[in-house]
Amino acid sequence: MFTVLYRHVHASAGPTSSTWRLKKILASLIAIGALSSVTATGTLALLSSQASNARSSVASGTLTFDNTVNTGTACYSYSGPSSPGNVNTSCQALITSSTLNYPGVAITPVKVTITNDGSIGAAALSVYMPSCTAGPTPGAPSPGGADPCAASGAQFYIQETTSSGTPTTCWFPSAAGACTFVASSLHVFAINANSMTSALTLGSGPAHGQARYFQIGMELPSTASNALQGEEAVFGLTWHIST
Amino acid sequence: MSLRELKALLLFLMAIGAAAYFGGGATFASFSAETTNPGSAVASGTLTMSDQVNSTTACLSAGSTAANNVNPACAAVLTLTNVAPGVYGGVAQVTVQNTGSIDASKFYFWAPQVNATLNAALTNGNSVTSLTVTALEGTVTSGDSIVVNYGTHTQTFVANAAASGGATSISVTSLAANFSYPIGTIVSDTSSNTSATNTDCYDVKTTTPGTTGASKGTDLNFNPVTGNPFCGAALLFVQETTGAKNYCWLGKGSSPEAASGMCSAPISVNLTSALSTGGAITSLPVTPALNGNVASGDSIVVSSGSNTQTFTASAAASFGATSISVSSLTPNFAYPTTSTVTDSTTLSALNPDQTDTITNFDTAHNTVGKIQLFPVTANGTVDNAAPVELSHFNNGTYSRIFQVGVYLPAPSGINQNPLQGLQSTFGITWHIDQ
Repeated sequence: MFTVLYRHVHASAGPTSSTWRLKKILASLIAIGALSSVTATGTLALLSSQASNARSSVASGTLTFDNTVNTGTACYSYSGPSSPGNVNTSCQALITSSTLNYPGVAITPVKVTITNDGSIGAAALSVYMPSCTAGPTPGAPSPGGADPCAASGAQFYIQETTSSGTPTTCWFPSAAGACTFVASSLHVFAINANSMTSALTLGSGPAHGQARYFQIGMELPSTASNALQGEEAVFGLTWHIST
Repeated sequence: MSLRELKALLLFLMAIGAAAYFGGGATFASFSAETTNPGSAVASGTLTMSDQVNSTTACLSAGSTAANNVNPACAAVLTLTNVAPGVYGGVAQVTVQNTGSIDASKFYFWAPQVNATLNAALTNGNSVTSLTVTALEGTVTSGDSIVVNYGTHTQTFVANAAASGGATSISVTSLAANFSYPIGTIVSDTSSNTSATNTDCYDVKTTTPGTTGASKGTDLNFNPVTGNPFCGAALLFVQETTGAKNYCWLGKGSSPEAASGMCSAPISVNLTSALSTGGAITSLPVTPALNGNVASGDSIVVSSGSNTQTFTASAAASFGATSISVSSLTPNFAYPTTSTVTDSTTLSALNPDQTDTITNFDTAHNTVGKIQLFPVTANGTVDNAAPVELSHFNNGTYSRIFQVGVYLPAPSGINQNPLQGLQSTFGITWHIDQ
């Protein structure tokens, strides 16, 4: 409507006439009207209301453990390199070559304590032997040349005990209660439980803050030949927990 | 008619008007009557809301010091600790209520921008080079636009350095304050929520162990926080349960919307009463009330120590249910009340999920992709043409209830050790419009 009126005035009046003043007034009204229509939606404020639930938090727990040999220093799973992480391959050896074995005489069992020092319970514990490598005993004058990792070589067991050392379960070679030495057991374990996928399952746990106690036994069979003299078996045990 | 004639006509009309004005009182009849309606008043209504987490004190939109009906600091929905992959996380109930006198035609929720509030006032005219804030929710990147807002006053600063999540100051390019912004003024990073690195959700290493004496995030060297990996792995769902009608607004089950309206929400409950091996059962009584959903056909696992048995759900059950209907089966053990009851079907469905993460909520459903909460008319069904989405106080549906939950999935074959000892912090914003 404003536009039509503006055109009519424009067609019939000059710039100095009174109609020119009227024209300017009407033009101003057009401008105001147009501005109003354009800005109306922004000017008429709608009501709104808002609330935010801030700082919700979700924190993950930790699944870590430590491994203590006899009365040594605890070795933490998370003290290894950052990659792959939570893997520590530098914990204390169970047995050194200075511990000499003689046929039919077992070494003093080595105590290994696995303690869950994380905040999450472990659903599974397992152990495996990545490798067993034979070689001459350092300093031995005349190695016999046989392989203690091979069949008829050294004997080996993994015994679980109470915290006070009372046998509870013989995990390898599998038996109830106390372990006994079985022929070729180091060889059997080394070839059958040599990776994570073939690891020996040791049941569930430990729960967070809890520990499980093991003893590792070694012995040369009483029937060992002279060929096993001056030979050593180098092996490791890898312990693994998971949720 | 010429201009001269028009002027003459107008002068004539003016003369008549003047005569009528001055002479009218004497001209009209002496009888008269008159009434007046004095004191008319026009009062505006209110549009305010409250937000209540579980049974805590309701938080009011008008209850903040920001003076703009925006409350940025309502209670955290969830505070979960010691979360493990593949294990039930947690859920909380949020009740949003229109406490005002005006209907809300629109009701939304979204992921807030990186935000905080001023912890030290600004003075009008004074140069500002740093904003002292409450613990920053999210990460600020150098160059981001930092907006302060108090009532009708607002000003945009530019960050000239990065600020980590939890930081208490933001360095900005020098600018004179255009108002004396008080403590409590809302501070928002309007450049945020565009990628995993600048979301409202941010990760830090835990500084306290999940259980007393245990290892904590800062003890570990294999759990970097770069890129907020925990925000990018933890799954978030929001399911409405108003009036016992379900609708999955966010999470697995929302896109496409499940016919049942139920999100894939894990459960973790115990038995209300022990099971007997004496005969078949068709229902598992559970306590507390169900804290997730069960779909018909789901595998329901009852465990106690080394004993376990899987039942098959014969009907759906949702939040608040006190029993789960199962196909007839005789328990294989006298499961005590301490037995745990879980839904392995739901966990299996969620474990591979890399979509419904908190990070994706922040980047896809921020102020741009906000989620409009149409009224739920039946399970899995909404009325997207309804003129009112949250009625005014004490009228109709003026209160709506939501279940908000988080679950850390355990994807098969993926080492999740890098997620150990991390904490994600995030927010959710609820908003109504007239």
